[in-house]
Amino acid sequence: VKALVIDDEDDVRFVAQVSLGRVGGMTVSEASTGSEGLDIARRERPDFILLDMMMPGMDGAATFLALRADEATAAIPVVFLTAKAMLSEVRRLEALGAKGVVLKPFNPMTLADEIRTILAT
Amino acid sequence: MFPPVPANESEALAVIDRDAVLDAPSEPFDGLVRLAATICRAPIAQITLAETTRQWMSAAPDIPAQAIARASSFFARAIGGDDVFVVEDAHADSRFARNPCVLGEPFIRSYAGAPLVSADGRNLGTLCVMDTKPHRFDGERQLALVMLARQAMMQLELRQQVDELRCREAHSQSVAASEHEVERMKCDFIATVSHELRTPLTSIHGSLGLLASGVMGELPREAKVMVSVAQRNSVRLLALVNDILDVDKLESGKIEMHLVPTSLMAIIERAIEMIRPLAAQDGVSIEVTGPHAQVRGDEARLGQVVANFLSNAVKYSPRDGIVSVSVGAVGEMLEVRVRDRGRGIGADLQKKLFQRFQRADSSDARTRPGAGLGLAICKAIVEQHGGTIGVESCEGEGSAFWFRVPRAVEEPAVLLIREDAALLDAMTAELLAGKPVRGNA
Repeated sequence: VKALVIDDEDDVRFVAQVSLGRVGGMTVSEASTGSEGLDIARRERPDFILLDMMMPGMDGAATFLALRADEATAAIPVVFLTAKAMLSEVRRLEALGAKGVVLKPFNPMTLADEIRTILAT
Repeated sequence: MFPPVPANESEALAVIDRDAVLDAPSEPFDGLVRLAATICRAPIAQITLAETTRQWMSAAPDIPAQAIARASSFFARAIGGDDVFVVEDAHADSRFARNPCVLGEPFIRSYAGAPLVSADGRNLGTLCVMDTKPHRFDGERQLALVMLARQAMMQLELRQQVDELRCREAHSQSVAASEHEVERMKCDFIATVSHELRTPLTSIHGSLGLLASGVMGELPREAKVMVSVAQRNSVRLLALVNDILDVDKLESGKIEMHLVPTSLMAIIERAIEMIRPLAAQDGVSIEVTGPHAQVRGDEARLGQVVANFLSNAVKYSPRDGIVSVSVGAVGEMLEVRVRDRGRGIGADLQKKLFQRFQRADSSDARTRPGAGLGLAICKAIVEQHGGTIGVESCEGEGSAFWFRVPRAVEEPAVLLIREDAALLDAMTAELLAGKPVRGNA
């Protein structure tokens, strides 16, 4: 499984990379901004994207819409990563067409399984 | 020689300044001076307050107002006395015969002034009438003057009270507005900080979890202990952030309650099961009494309230103590009461206990974990149920925490006794719109 993690926080990205890679056995690419994420997504065609919601500049929602607008990336499932634990926020992201939402802080030992479950539905 | 100054004049001046009654509309005073002039058949009448620039006056058009103001020596005599001060002919009165306002404009010949005495005995001014000719002020007219002075005084005091009320109202409105603004800023701040805390917590919590799991390689025994200390505390920090967000969302009504008829006893029993291991550690036993009854509530949220009460009761119970839970009816409400035999809570603290970040004792922070948010969360939950929450406690005698929530309204059941099948069919369609049915068919 090829994963792309887009998050502006280096440390969060690193933890996610170890969780999905070393614990979850996935191949993980990383991007620290929305636009870098779009480039990598076009090039590498990951099986899913773990996308942080709150990022400076192009935020999660804007990145998501840009991914959907591009034929090459439109079909890639997106799982949002958000610190906003509000149900309304989760519903809003799902209404945008997100495959699922993972809340910060996530459990590093179960993150890969959690995402596999989301992708299977 | 100066006329005598009343003993309390400086006091009276201060009162008048402070009262700010002088800028109020003057119709009632204008009416009173006109009445005084008419009754006394004098061309000039005025109310003078112990503030030189302020007067209400009724004067014949040919008498200049500026000149009347100079009659201050009469005023000073009148305000100093307890009764009506009368000068029937200034020319025949040695105190005033050479007075500038007698010899020159406005050529005062006669004067009668009644002091304006406040309810607490202060002389605040005079109501007086004047004439440019000698004038006899008989007893009836003097009495009228006293009564009109009393009316003027009542007007002044009324204005003073209205003014005070207005001030108080304006003050309380501005206090309420600023309190509201502070509360809003506090909520915004809490929400922002809590969200911002979750990002670093994600890295800390995640890294520690990975380290503790051994995915990053086996750790030496002592390092494992240190990592588990850090991990335990990151969990605590996370719980705190979640509690802060929880109380914030609950208090601002952003969390929807799922209110359905539900068994109160079942909620209590589940909460007791949750707390029992904690209680067992301290040898505390939990007993429960009361009827089975249904409340209208959110099962999970009410369970959170009961569990919070129980965990506090266990936390503050002496070793081998007993915590009792009772259920009872209070009017249309059902009450849950959790009683401990701990050291109790002082009256001052009881009032603050349901506010955020309050603890029974600040020294507790070191020995008993928790941020003092639990009861604030409970209060918000109970209030969203339309209920009330409280505590009764005496120092040294333990505490009883209680909450009351509305009892579930029984759905009306329709009982059909089958006698006529055709009638029953016809009635069934009309009567039964999703209502529970008992029948003997």
